[in-house]
Amino acid sequence: MARERVAGTPRLQVERGGAAPPPAAPPLPAPLPPAADELAELRRLLLAPERRQLEALQQRLDAMGLTAADVAAQLPEAIALRGGQDRQLARALAPTIDDALGEAVRRNPRDIATAIFPVLGPAIRKAIAETMAELVSSINRALEHSFSVRGLQWRLESWRTGVPYAQVVMKHALVYRVEQAFLIHAETGLLLAHVSPPDLSVTDADLISGMMTAIRDFVGDSFGEAEKGAGGLRTFAVGELTVMVEQGPRALLAAVVRGQAPPALLRRLQDTLEAVHFQYALPLASFDGDTAPFEPAKPLLAECLETVLSTDRPREVGGRVAWLPWAVLAMLALVAFGWWRWREGQRFARAVAALEAEPGFALLRAERDGGRWQFAGLRDPLARDPRTVLAEAGADTAAVRDRWAPHLSFDPGLVAARARAVLAAPASVRLEVRGDTLVGGGAAPIPWLVRQRAQVVPPPGVQHVRLGAVEPLLPAALVPVAAEVAGERVLFALGSSALDGAAGTALDRVAARLRQLDRALEADGFVAEVRLTGRADTVGTEAANAELSRERADAVRRALGARGVGVTTLESVGLGTAEPLAAPTPAERARLNRSVSFTVRLVPDAAEEGSR
Amino acid sequence: MIQKKVCMVGVFGTGKTSLVQRFIHSRFSEKYHSTVGVKIDRKAMTVAGQEVNLVLWDLAGRDEHQDISGSYLRGAHAAFFVVDGTRRETLTQLPDLRRIVREHAGDVPAVVALNKADLVDQWALTHDDEALLRADGVHVLRTSAKAGENVEAAFTHLGWAVLAAREGSA
Repeated sequence: MARERVAGTPRLQVERGGAAPPPAAPPLPAPLPPAADELAELRRLLLAPERRQLEALQQRLDAMGLTAADVAAQLPEAIALRGGQDRQLARALAPTIDDALGEAVRRNPRDIATAIFPVLGPAIRKAIAETMAELVSSINRALEHSFSVRGLQWRLESWRTGVPYAQVVMKHALVYRVEQAFLIHAETGLLLAHVSPPDLSVTDADLISGMMTAIRDFVGDSFGEAEKGAGGLRTFAVGELTVMVEQGPRALLAAVVRGQAPPALLRRLQDTLEAVHFQYALPLASFDGDTAPFEPAKPLLAECLETVLSTDRPREVGGRVAWLPWAVLAMLALVAFGWWRWREGQRFARAVAALEAEPGFALLRAERDGGRWQFAGLRDPLARDPRTVLAEAGADTAAVRDRWAPHLSFDPGLVAARARAVLAAPASVRLEVRGDTLVGGGAAPIPWLVRQRAQVVPPPGVQHVRLGAVEPLLPAALVPVAAEVAGERVLFALGSSALDGAAGTALDRVAARLRQLDRALEADGFVAEVRLTGRADTVGTEAANAELSRERADAVRRALGARGVGVTTLESVGLGTAEPLAAPTPAERARLNRSVSFTVRLVPDAAEEGSR
Repeated sequence: MIQKKVCMVGVFGTGKTSLVQRFIHSRFSEKYHSTVGVKIDRKAMTVAGQEVNLVLWDLAGRDEHQDISGSYLRGAHAAFFVVDGTRRETLTQLPDLRRIVREHAGDVPAVVALNKADLVDQWALTHDDEALLRADGVHVLRTSAKAGENVEAAFTHLGWAVLAAREGSA
């Protein structure tokens, strides 16, 4: 039947083929159509089998629907599809790509280097960062274990048992550790590959592998085929060790775990076992005892090994001890800051107190904003510079911002100062405020005193001005005249108050000078007041001497009055033997003290005062 | 490294464990320890310049309660049958044991050790028995775990056999 169908088709083809020759026909002579038919017939007879074959091939190709163009069109999609399903495609392509890459690198290393440069840079940085992070983590761990009570206990245990400290730490801090991984041939139980950390020496891995298989076989036999088909014995525990076994069609992967193994580990074992099955499909299928082909699988197995310590877990309070130095630092910083704040507060308070105590200042606002001090208030223009006040109180004036509105202060000191300014008082005048009265003291030149008489408005802050106690100062021209008077001395005989000739001469001179003074001072309303001081020597009684000295002063007063000197300006006192004048010898002293001497003082003219 | 799984098969008390002990540790104990389940040992040897690691599965002997476990035989590269030369019934069970091995491990190289050869007066086997076995294409040796007789030779023969089988398959 098939033969008939195949045979039928060429006929159709032949008929179509028969239509083709006409273009070739024209060169042939027209009267020969029968010959052309014969040729076609001959060709059909001769070439029919080949035509049939060609036709069949054509059909097969059509049926497959695969041409290079078709594949090209489907390839990306196909790759994406398969790539999404599993990793088989990647694994299948990996060796080819490895070769291609190796070839490319060999041919043109520079291009490859340029291409991967942007990848390498960040990768290297990342690696360094990770190394640093690991370093920091180790330091933290070391710190924690070195300084904690627990750490000390472990040290003690290490010392007591002779086990290295690192192992003691490992024992206590261990959450889990995948210590060994066995790749076991499922059928024979022979060990294909085995990995363990460098610090763990494992002997008899092949025996363990065999026993593990035997145990699984035993368990499988005991529980029946159903359980065996479901993967058989997957986990068993030996002391602190747990053995997790992942079963594949041709190989088993067993992991020996110390501590609490997480469920995620099984998943990783599955992945690894799948990868092994894929990469080593052929060696696994044809395994007859030679383990050499599985040597390269060790890195794959090594990925299953890992150690997880409790100190690696971020939620652990492990950071606590490492925090301690920081906490202490923070406390110190806090204390230092607090102390600084307190000291600043003290300084600020001192500055405020100084400003409040300072005459002429009315402090309305004082604020401390960080390191900046702000003051505002009223300040009398005559008050001291606030910066000076603050500097004296120990403040940093550079950090001070102040604003002062002018005002008049009734502080006595400032009232006096203002009065001094208003009155243009010379430095020799003392001014002080007593209640509502400005009281003067000291001495002042006569012109200034004269000017004050015309002053009717008291300076701000006082109601009255008393300048009576201010001594008038002699004008410079009169000073020698007054000195001349003060230098004169009228001497008396022993026990006598009678004026002799020499006394009369001296009195003439004194009277003349006094008249000169009076004339000079008259215009300003001042007179020279003369005080006559009578003395006696020590001969006789005290009472007699007092009487004698008074008599001597009176005698001189009368004599001066007789010479035209105003009586009111003369004041006589007898000192007796009190306040004696000093002299080198007793005789000279006695002579000198039998005398009357003169003291000149300027006073406002009483008559003038009364007339004002 | 070439590794080969070799199963020690026989009736209980034929001396399987003793042969393994003699072969690996060169020692013999008069005490009888019945093997429970399976015990696994290993012996590295050099055969024709080739390092071979024989992983010896010392299976519990067959008794009336317990047959040989097929699971343990799975994947074995060779079988080491042990017959107690002083107990004839251990020989009569040999064909059945060989059948079991063939079932689970296929047609693998094998030797038959007629053990306890030092107990000459109690010897219960005849030359005909040995001849029959040899005629069947089996490598037969008289061994004594106690005296050490032919123990090394038996295992070495197995080593040769498994390597030859490997060469043949390759």
